[in-house]
Amino acid sequence: MTSFAVRPAMVPVSRRVRAYFAAVNRSSKTPVIFDPGRYGVFSLDSPPTPWLEIGWIDNFQRVSLTPTEPLRAGVRAAANAQFRGPLDARVEFDFREWGKLQMALAGGSEHMNVLASDPSAAPHPSGGTPLAAVAVLAGSSATEVVVGAGSVNAFSVGDIIAVDADYQQQTGYVGSGIAAAYVSDPVNVNRDTNYVRRVTFNLGRVAQLTAGSLLLAQPLPGGAPQAAWGIQKVVAFVDREGGSFFQEWSALFVAEEESGGRICFHYPRLQPVSTLRPASANAAERQQANTAAPQQKEQSIEIAKPITALALHAAFIAMPYTDENDRQIAVCYRSYFPAAMAALY
Amino acid sequence: MQYTKDTFYITLRNRLATLNPSRVISVDGTTRPAIVVAENEAVIPVRPLPDTFYLEWGQAQPVPQHLGDHPIFWFECVISYHTFGTTESGVDRGRSLASLDRDLLNVTQPGTAPKCDYTQTPPANLGTGIVWSTPQLGKIVGGEAPRNEALPRGTAGVRLERSASLRVFFFPETIS
Repeated sequence: MTSFAVRPAMVPVSRRVRAYFAAVNRSSKTPVIFDPGRYGVFSLDSPPTPWLEIGWIDNFQRVSLTPTEPLRAGVRAAANAQFRGPLDARVEFDFREWGKLQMALAGGSEHMNVLASDPSAAPHPSGGTPLAAVAVLAGSSATEVVVGAGSVNAFSVGDIIAVDADYQQQTGYVGSGIAAAYVSDPVNVNRDTNYVRRVTFNLGRVAQLTAGSLLLAQPLPGGAPQAAWGIQKVVAFVDREGGSFFQEWSALFVAEEESGGRICFHYPRLQPVSTLRPASANAAERQQANTAAPQQKEQSIEIAKPITALALHAAFIAMPYTDENDRQIAVCYRSYFPAAMAALY
Repeated sequence: MQYTKDTFYITLRNRLATLNPSRVISVDGTTRPAIVVAENEAVIPVRPLPDTFYLEWGQAQPVPQHLGDHPIFWFECVISYHTFGTTESGVDRGRSLASLDRDLLNVTQPGTAPKCDYTQTPPANLGTGIVWSTPQLGKIVGGEAPRNEALPRGTAGVRLERSASLRVFFFPETIS
């Protein structure tokens, strides 16, 4: 019998987990799907569109809280069959890097862009009456925003800009490309023309000025702006304890392969939730955690006393997704790409 | 990494010029604040100048628990200085050393500065800051005293010297 050499090492070795997020289309309730067959072992530095790399995460933990209950029968009440109880899967980790997306995911609710405001405007914790928007002109793209020669001098290299449509008194999800908030009544947002830009994810940092346009350091996450949208400078980001909106994103976590095998964890739909550490995942504590789970919002990571780095803690619950291949409902997928020539069992 | 060294030195140099304009040295006919990066000076076998801060860098090392896409590194920086006092008798050498201590503690606070590329004029802000720890002052070492006249702590020597160490934390520049 012919024997073939296979590499016996089947131990995935990883130094870190990389995270990628993509916005769920809230209006159509359509998540972004990671198809392992289609995307394969993609380059971790350039994920497939529309996945956004979210930067360095740490303390990544997945936990399944879905119970399996035995169905007992017979004189000795032995387990005769099993069924699965309510689906419940959580994931949590720390964002080691801060940004708009990281804060929004960790905060969980509406995430506000603090628009540059008139110094005489009344103070508001999430930003007061902003300076007027500059109009976007035709011909803009996700990396170049055309404003015209007359307006380009209103901006400087390094400015953060919010680029989105004026609020048109509509109800429903707002934010171009990525649902950033839900407006149930225009009165709630003071019919504010700038409201969409207060929450939008369509942000960019000005890297260069041309005669009539702004070149951005990173593409606008929400895509190319349309003519007549507005641009406003952003001076800070704010999230709040409170709010009624729930962020919902598709997520992909990849255990970076160092021994050849790659493991991916795909959550079609994740919504933020209070923390639930696996260490407290027994039944009694779980019950308590579901009602009043403590959540430390930031983690201090010592560099050298008293210098510390602050990490954003984020926790999520996985929402259901119907797998079209067999109509089963699932909340997360784990895929494994074996190393070349690794043994399969 | 050189940007970190340059930023730290120039920050301390500028602060010293503001806080104590009289603490200057003259090197090759040029008067400048009395702070020197040893590795940047001409290789001439001259003795270190008194009443002057000498910076020496250790090797860069990563900070454990901070190894991600943008790991944090640190350099150890040893700052040494000595004095003979301001009088021929040297009776104020203790006070002179205390004055150097004070200046060192003052110029190292606050322990942060924006990292810049000083090879350009004007310097280009590189977008992140460097952070350093509070200097740990080492014990006084006395020198140039007859051994049989030395006191246990060496303060009987004509020359009093001290070394202080601190750590400078930074994000290394990457070529993208």
